[in-house]
Amino acid sequence: MGQGTPGGLSRQSGDRKQDGADKKEKKFEPAAPPSRVGRKQRKQKGPEAAARLPTVTPLTKCKLRLLKLERIKDYLLMEEEFVTNQERLKPQEEKAEEDRSKVDDLRGSPMSVGNLEELIDENHAIVSSSVGPEYYVSILSFVDKDQLEPGCAILMHNKVLSVVGLLQDEVDPMVSVMKVEKAPLESYADIGGLDAQIQEIKEAVELPLTHPELYEDIGIKPPKGVILYGEPGTGKTLLAKAVANSTSATFLRVVGSELIQKYLGDGPKLVRELFRVADELSPSIVFIDEIDAVGTKRYDAHSGGEREIQRTMLELLNQLDGFDSRGDVKVILATNRIESLDPALLRPGRIDRKIEFPLPDIKTRRRIFQIHTSRMTLADDVNLEEFVMTKDEFSGADIKAICTEAGLLALRERRMKVTHADFKKAKEKVMFKKKEGVPEGLYM
Amino acid sequence: MAPEKNSSGAGTSREEAPVKVPAKDPKKKEEKKDEDLSEEDLALKQQLELYVERVQDPDPGLQKVALESMRQEIRTSTSSMTSVPKPLKFLRPHYGTLKAYYETMKDSDLKRYLADILSVLALTMSAEGERESLKYRLLGSEGDIGSWGHEYVRNLAGEIAQEYTKRQSEEAPINDLMELVQQIVAFHMKHNAEPEAVDLLMEVEDLDMLMEHVDSTNFKRTCLYLTSAARYLPGPDDMVVLDIAYMIYLKFEEYANALQIALFLDNMQYVKQVFTSCGDLLRRKQFCYILARHGITFELDEEMFPDDDEREALLEIVNNTKLSEGYLTLARDIEVMEPKSPEDIYKAHLLDGRASASASVDSARQNLAATFVNAFVNAGFGQDKLMTVQSDPSSGSSGNWLFKNKEHGKASAAASLGMILLWEVDSGLSQLDKYFHSNDNHVIAGALLGVGIVNCNIKNDCDPALALLGDYIDKEDASIRIGAIMGLGLAYAGSQNEQIRAKLSPILNDAKAPLDVLAFTAISLGLIYVGSCNEEVAQSIIFTLMDRSESELGEPLARLLPLGLGLLYLGKQENVEVTAEVAKTFNEKIRKHCDMTLVSCAYAGTGNVLKVQNLLGHCAQHLEKGETHQAPAVLGIAMVAMAEELGVEMAIRSLEHLLQYGEQNIRRAVPLALGLLCIANPKVNVMDTLSRLSHDTDSEVAMAAVISLGLIGAGTNNARIAGMLRNLSSYYYKDASLLFCVRIAQGLVHLGKGLLTLNPYHSERFLLSPTALAGIITMLHACLDMKAIILGKYHYVLYFLVLAMQPRMLLTVDENLKPLSVPVRVGQAVDVVGQAGRPKTITGFQTHSTPVLLAAGDRAELATEKYIPLSPILEGFVILKENPDFREDN
Repeated sequence: MGQGTPGGLSRQSGDRKQDGADKKEKKFEPAAPPSRVGRKQRKQKGPEAAARLPTVTPLTKCKLRLLKLERIKDYLLMEEEFVTNQERLKPQEEKAEEDRSKVDDLRGSPMSVGNLEELIDENHAIVSSSVGPEYYVSILSFVDKDQLEPGCAILMHNKVLSVVGLLQDEVDPMVSVMKVEKAPLESYADIGGLDAQIQEIKEAVELPLTHPELYEDIGIKPPKGVILYGEPGTGKTLLAKAVANSTSATFLRVVGSELIQKYLGDGPKLVRELFRVADELSPSIVFIDEIDAVGTKRYDAHSGGEREIQRTMLELLNQLDGFDSRGDVKVILATNRIESLDPALLRPGRIDRKIEFPLPDIKTRRRIFQIHTSRMTLADDVNLEEFVMTKDEFSGADIKAICTEAGLLALRERRMKVTHADFKKAKEKVMFKKKEGVPEGLYM
Repeated sequence: MAPEKNSSGAGTSREEAPVKVPAKDPKKKEEKKDEDLSEEDLALKQQLELYVERVQDPDPGLQKVALESMRQEIRTSTSSMTSVPKPLKFLRPHYGTLKAYYETMKDSDLKRYLADILSVLALTMSAEGERESLKYRLLGSEGDIGSWGHEYVRNLAGEIAQEYTKRQSEEAPINDLMELVQQIVAFHMKHNAEPEAVDLLMEVEDLDMLMEHVDSTNFKRTCLYLTSAARYLPGPDDMVVLDIAYMIYLKFEEYANALQIALFLDNMQYVKQVFTSCGDLLRRKQFCYILARHGITFELDEEMFPDDDEREALLEIVNNTKLSEGYLTLARDIEVMEPKSPEDIYKAHLLDGRASASASVDSARQNLAATFVNAFVNAGFGQDKLMTVQSDPSSGSSGNWLFKNKEHGKASAAASLGMILLWEVDSGLSQLDKYFHSNDNHVIAGALLGVGIVNCNIKNDCDPALALLGDYIDKEDASIRIGAIMGLGLAYAGSQNEQIRAKLSPILNDAKAPLDVLAFTAISLGLIYVGSCNEEVAQSIIFTLMDRSESELGEPLARLLPLGLGLLYLGKQENVEVTAEVAKTFNEKIRKHCDMTLVSCAYAGTGNVLKVQNLLGHCAQHLEKGETHQAPAVLGIAMVAMAEELGVEMAIRSLEHLLQYGEQNIRRAVPLALGLLCIANPKVNVMDTLSRLSHDTDSEVAMAAVISLGLIGAGTNNARIAGMLRNLSSYYYKDASLLFCVRIAQGLVHLGKGLLTLNPYHSERFLLSPTALAGIITMLHACLDMKAIILGKYHYVLYFLVLAMQPRMLLTVDENLKPLSVPVRVGQAVDVVGQAGRPKTITGFQTHSTPVLLAAGDRAELATEKYIPLSPILEGFVILKENPDFREDN
């Protein structure tokens, strides 16, 4: 593409005697053409690619790995030493500052945000602003042309609309909201029972992220994801919260219904975006609650809306085990209607482990009662065993409701202690509510 | 289990919380805990408590039973990965009790039993740095170590390493530790954990112990781990490690691998040992192929090979006589015998009309470029479209092209015939013969150089090169002398030939000899004695450097003198120090330059981080005008770091910083360093960087970048680089010098029509051929001052690359050394060091039948069981033996 540059003419005097001094006299030196135009490669984007360190094999913890990592560290230290020396000897800050202010002047402010429609040649492009019309404008020389690609968001000068910069951050704000910044308070200690479930989820989700070498040692691929299923109120979400609490990996949480969007194609796009972000921030855990919102069995859809939901699920299938391999991204799904989910979603390779959450047995029930009552002031006559041993089917959430209800009853009567009677009343109330108005014992 | 662990911090505030808190008062706590334990757990817990009480019973019988059952419980408990086994958990509170009781016990079997159990309990209980597990293990009965599980052994190994360093510093005896090490190593080696065994032995500095424990199932993995760790270990540990690997390979009769390690160590004694311990003629032939590829001289003396016929056969291989034949077999198989003209490479028709129309800026230079391109592209094929067409000497039509070049251009043109006839000594010499009768000194010089090129990497008993060139060394004309001297250097690189030294050394001492002759003499001597540390040669070069006047030392060519000196110490590390001291007394014009060159050469291919740091430090200074030593320092970084993959990638990063902060003289060297790091290995990121630099406003940076684009794509036919270079050729169509560089790069990319490589590393990037590296760095040093040397009248330095040219092929031959076509899988190599099981060594493979081309990072494996390769690494010539166990399945 170099042949198009007018600067070629000024090279006429260019025989090989030319030296640096000659160069300075030239009035105009065209900027080098970009090394390539068009779609940029995802994997290597300028500074990010340069910052990426080489991968170190083997993954097993051994001396060789240590030595290799130390070698990398040595080189990094040298780089640091070199760069700090250079900065001290020849501070670039001022110069950079000057350049930056000049660039800011050229950019002008405010800038408008537009969309790059088409690259014409290395200095011109067709852009569109949000209001509609498209313009043929020039690209200023300080814009990194290697990173321009059709369809990317750009900054435009407010009057002449020339391209003065590009917006790097492409993360959908919808996705960035999903990132759990503040760890939830619930920890594993707040879960009564569910020992087997905790162990399974740890093996499938946490261990591959913290100790990948264990799996490599034995020669298997770690599971990619798990699905938690069971009756309402059995602690699926609670367990996910506990995972989020204890892990240092990025935790992204989504509710299935969030993936259903107003416009066609937005749902699948969101799913894609979600997994892309997860990949970028890896190691990460994606938790999709109430997956049945999008993951129901496929059938002949009647409305566009249904079809869209199905497409969203297809995208999800692809992201879970599609062509691109996801690295350190683990997926946790939760639902209480596993039987209605699409079988493709649950096949091994996508979701390797299905963890059932049963209603608590007596032992677990006791533990849950203990957890919830541990901070309540109980009267001496309270005999929790009575509730523990009852034949009624309680879920974890019901027990919590009973305890809360009992506490409320005590408050209502301005007592400082919760009595056995409170608990009894509370239980009846909760059971009544649960069976939706059918009094207890009517059909026993 | 996890909940307990988690709550230990947060749960203490909640009094009623039925979670385990590190108990101060176990009795009281237990009551509460009992509530939430399942029945089995409770039973187990009570059982264990009973045992603990019984252990403290005075009756030895009861004690014994209790200990036995406690041990039983611990061993049978299958733990999950995420939690502590239950018995251990329940015994935790009693650890202190048991410990206290242990102290009061009398010496007996029971006491040792208890020590065993305490040792296991210490796994979870012992405080950091206490090493109680080890302490009790040493006190206990020395039973089977593996019976307590893998985790236990691993923990013990870690504690031993700590204890060992402690005792080393106190100079305490370590016998008891070593016994334990013995057990652990045996355990690890039996359980597919070779890396751990090796790690432990490295920690306790007793790798010899490995010899007892390796067996035929695990020695390969062990050795693989050892050899790859050697790259990263500081000296002298790396040598020890490789020594052990060598011993193991010898023990299991994997002689080819042993030979490779011997070559890596550059230990001729070991090489001989391999030959003497393996009597099989076929295998010996294979060894000779490996030696020939490595390019070192190995004397096959009559003592070792009493049989004359056998020696003859081996000599033929080791002398590389059949290289040309194999190469042409490959070319015929791939059907690229048809000669190509430079225009076929330029592909000007793919560009817009304008550029190609006005190509006649400097036609002599263009013709010279075409000469080089023609030579590189048709290297070794024996036919081309410029030099060998109508080989009718009377009409002189081949002379036609020769005389399209001016003056010194004719030298390169005549020498290019040597390149075209590369490795074909007989026909090459006869075709070059006609030029000797020319009355043009440049043509004669070119012919002399051509003779050297033809004989490059080939040895011949009657030494035709020496016979032909010897007479011309002392001729009047400088260009003839240079031609002869350089020819000798190329033909005898690495041979350490005394005869030639006797002829060349006097030139260095000749005060009247012109500088260019001196420079090339120094380089040639450096090549012939590459990596030999020969003192006499070093002395001669040092004297020359001291004698010459300051103005002469300022010349660009004078910088080749230190390089000649450096080549003598290529890869020899500390051996350079004496010479480096002497170099400090040189004239300041050349002193630092010499210093940098020596360091970079001596540590080339070692990956020594300290040296990289040192060189980087020199690059960090900002100089007043006139100093030249930073450029060799930049090249030095690449030379040192190219040893291993990590170094290469990290050095590329460092070079980016140099580009950012460096002055112009550094920036000019950076592209060349990148070219060296990724030679014949077109990495995309390096390609992008070089492409960017090839448009640099500083024309020397651009030139270096263009040449480096050629180097990284050397012999790959890489379409992307070819496209870039085509565009550059039209971008720079007005600039003759840059266009010349672009043409050279184009020629390099299509080196040998894509059948050759310049990579000095071979055998799966394990071995570094010293002569090949020497050739490349000589050429790169010449490129540091492009205008004076390559664009001046010494363009033939480009022919130094011939030292590194090797066919990038896999040619399988049968037992009679005739080519044999078998299916092979070729794919990207995978690093399988330290992986469990038998992982695939290649990925994304395709099946071809030999001969095949191997790209950078490729690995081949046989796709048939019918034959057994005699070399574990399928590269170059590989002899196949019929597999006696093979059955054709029907």
